[in-house]
Parts: sequence; structure tokens; C-alpha cells
Amino acid sequence: MRKLLLGVVMIAMCWFAAYAAHAAELQPPAHAVAGAGFDIKTSGSGSDTLILIGPASALKREVALGEPVSIAGDEARAAGRYLAILSSGGDSTSKEFFVSSGQASDLVFLARPSRVATAQKGAISGVAFVFDEYKNLVLAPTPVKFALSVEGHAPVLRTVTAREGVAWTHMDSTSNQGAAQFVASLPQGGSDASIRRVVQQVAAEACNLRMKAQPQGNAILVETEPIKDCSGNPVPDGTIVTFTETDASGISTVDARIKKDVARAELPASHSATINVASGVVLGNEIHWGGGQ
Amino acid sequence: MRRLQLLLAVAVFMSATHWMTLRARANDAAGVKVEMSTEQAQPREVEDSTQKAIVRDYTAAWKAMEAALASNQDAGLAAQFSGNALQLLQDRVQQQKKSGLRTRFVDHGHKLSAIFYSPEGSAMELHDTAQLEIETLDGSKVHHSQPVTLHYVALMTTAEDRWKVRLLQGVPNF
Repeated sequence: MRKLLLGVVMIAMCWFAAYAAHAAELQPPAHAVAGAGFDIKTSGSGSDTLILIGPASALKREVALGEPVSIAGDEARAAGRYLAILSSGGDSTSKEFFVSSGQASDLVFLARPSRVATAQKGAISGVAFVFDEYKNLVLAPTPVKFALSVEGHAPVLRTVTAREGVAWTHMDSTSNQGAAQFVASLPQGGSDASIRRVVQQVAAEACNLRMKAQPQGNAILVETEPIKDCSGNPVPDGTIVTFTETDASGISTVDARIKKDVARAELPASHSATINVASGVVLGNEIHWGGGQ
Repeated sequence: MRRLQLLLAVAVFMSATHWMTLRARANDAAGVKVEMSTEQAQPREVEDSTQKAIVRDYTAAWKAMEAALASNQDAGLAAQFSGNALQLLQDRVQQQKKSGLRTRFVDHGHKLSAIFYSPEGSAMELHDTAQLEIETLDGSKVHHSQPVTLHYVALMTTAEDRWKVRLLQGVPNF
């Protein structure tokens, strides 16, 4: 009886040893990079079916156990979670692993606004998303250079390190009007990724708004000095300037547009009046007509 | 002998019930639950209406993705995904179809955290911690089934009348 039991145990051990020798195991790569390709090592003997599920892939192929399975770069361009399954008959074994994004080589750049007044604090925002060549978000810290410049003037530069694939900055609009070039680029890694946006900088509100008045026939002719913003940029033609005359008979208001840097209007004649000038929220000088200025 | 038969019957009944529950939940598109926090969002604060819209559209995106990968039909993806995320999912569906594979999800919910909201309000980056059971099927045979906690970095941008997922990238951790 003992011999019989021993025989059975021996047979069971041999069977288990044979099973273990045949049992398939997977060893995915420890560090895989999108688009670079990698090997999945297998152990055991015979053949099995390998299934590889990734963000953009679902491969199924027969593989020889004990030999590495090569996955080409084109088959794993997407960064993310991959699942390798070895399946034979009713048994299967699986391993998950992650493919990381490659080197930063591309940017998506959002710049706002497209039109802004000069010399405004933090008025321009730039957001850059950093991608590798296969459009995977690069999550490793990556420096991004932002440059804002108007022709003929030195650019304003700022380097921001992208975290979680995104870098952003707020920049002041410069004091010069014109089409500002807002550029985001990758200063490291030999990439020539550079995205350009145009932000039109226009003169801000009028500054030191002043006018003079003189009689003209039966009217009073009012005319401003050349209207400029606080940085010296001429306020654009077409901007509305409001002249207001207040006298005993009431209030007269004339809206005039700036033409060739100045605005002018005719107000009703009066023996004694107060005349004001304003443009937007900016109030100019006041003239007392008839009673001496 | 009777006890053995009774035990077997109970075991078979429980297995069948569990299997049917899994199937029913996998097919139940309304099963995706998304909770969202906005405390970490920078540099702009997330408005209440935007938060609701993100939850609504991210939920819809997962429903569409789970349905597409379970059925190998990608028609519903374009309404919720755009850019590279859409392209990758369409590629995955095509490859699954070609290989005779399908992926079935039981979605136990997502914890979404906004980490970036662009100053002009047109793009948002989010971290998603998803509790899922994922089955890989070859024809009708389940090759692999596993409950998992997965981490995703998602990028959503404004589209016509909704937010669309532009990037959904799995990461080992945050």
C-alpha cells in the first residue's frame, strides 16, 4: 500500500514538474517609451496566444514561449496602460505595464486675447501643452519659453516649466502698439517646435486729454490736442470724444470722432458756458467760456 | 448526496446571478458615476456651471468609450472625443474588430479632479481615478477579467455645444 502511495506521489510530482516547466510567464518591459518598440519576455515551452491591449492597439498573435516577443514602435505609439495576456486553452496569465511618452517635440499654444490695449498688467495669457512626436502628453517637467515682441523693440521673455504637460503665463502688454508676436517654444532637447500667435496691441485710453476753444461765427469751435495714450501711442482714428457745453439754457453734447489724432466740434454760441471734454472713462480739461478761461 | 446536489445547485445559481449582474451592469450605460473636485484647479477657478458640464460630458465620454469597445462600433465616439483621443480609440476599435477581441467594462465610478483650467476658459486638464472591472473577450470567451484602479490624465476642450475629451492617457499614478 505504501509503495502504491509513493508511486502516486511520484507521478503527481512529475506531472507538476512537467506542468511548471511548460507554464507560461510574462515579463513586460520595465521602461517602455511610446514609438520606440519593446520586447515582452516569455518563459515556458510550446506556443501560446499573446494578446496585447493598449490605448490604440489590440493585437493577437501566436508566440513561441521562452522567446521574447518584439512589439514594433508603430504598434505602441500611444502612451498609457498596456495589458499583455498569454492564453493557452483555458489558462491565461497577464501583466500590465505602462508606456511613457517620448521626448517633448510639439506644442499646442493658446494665446488670448487677440487684441489688447498697450501697457496692461497681465492682460495677455499664454497656455502651452507639451506633446511628444506621437501626440502623447509629456508629463515630465519640461521648460517652455514664451516671448512677446513688437517689431523694433526687445522681446519680453519668460521660461516656465510645464507640469503635468501644461505651462502657462500671464504677460503685460508692451507699451508699443502694433502686431505683437507671441511665441511659445521648446528651448531644450533640440526640438524646433515653435508656435507663433499674433496679438494686436492698440493704444490704451487717452491720457492728458486737453482741448482749446475759439469763436467761429455763431458757434464755439472746440478742438483737442493730438490724443495719445500714456505710452505716447496715438489713440486710433474713429474713437469717440464727447464735448459737453453747459450754460443757462441747458446742456449741449456733441460726439466727435478722432481724425488724424485730433477731435473737433462746433458747440452753440453762449455768453457764459462751461465746456468739458471726455473720451471713454477719461475726463479732459474744463473751459469756462465767456467769463474768462 | 442530496446535500451535495443542493450545494451544487446553490453554487450554480450564485454564479449565474453574478454573471448576469455583471452583464447587466456592463450594458447599463447609465452606470458611469463621476464625482468631481475643483479645489486644485489653476490658474482659473472653475465655475459651477462648467463643473456640471464637465461631469456631464466626461460621463458621456466614458459611456461612449465603453459602448464602443464592447461592441466594436465607433460611431458614437466622435460626439464625445476629439483630436488624438478620438483617433486612438478609433484605432483600438478597428484593431479589436480585426483581432476578434472585445473589451467589456463594469464601471464602479470615477473621482475626477481638475488641476488646470485655462485663463480663457477653453481647456481643462483633469486627473481621474477610475474603479473598473475590465474583461477582455475573444469572441465570447473571457480571456481576462480583473478589478482595477486606474489613473488617467484627461484633457478636455470646448467644442460646439459641449466639452470633448481631447486626450485620455493612462498613468501608473499621480
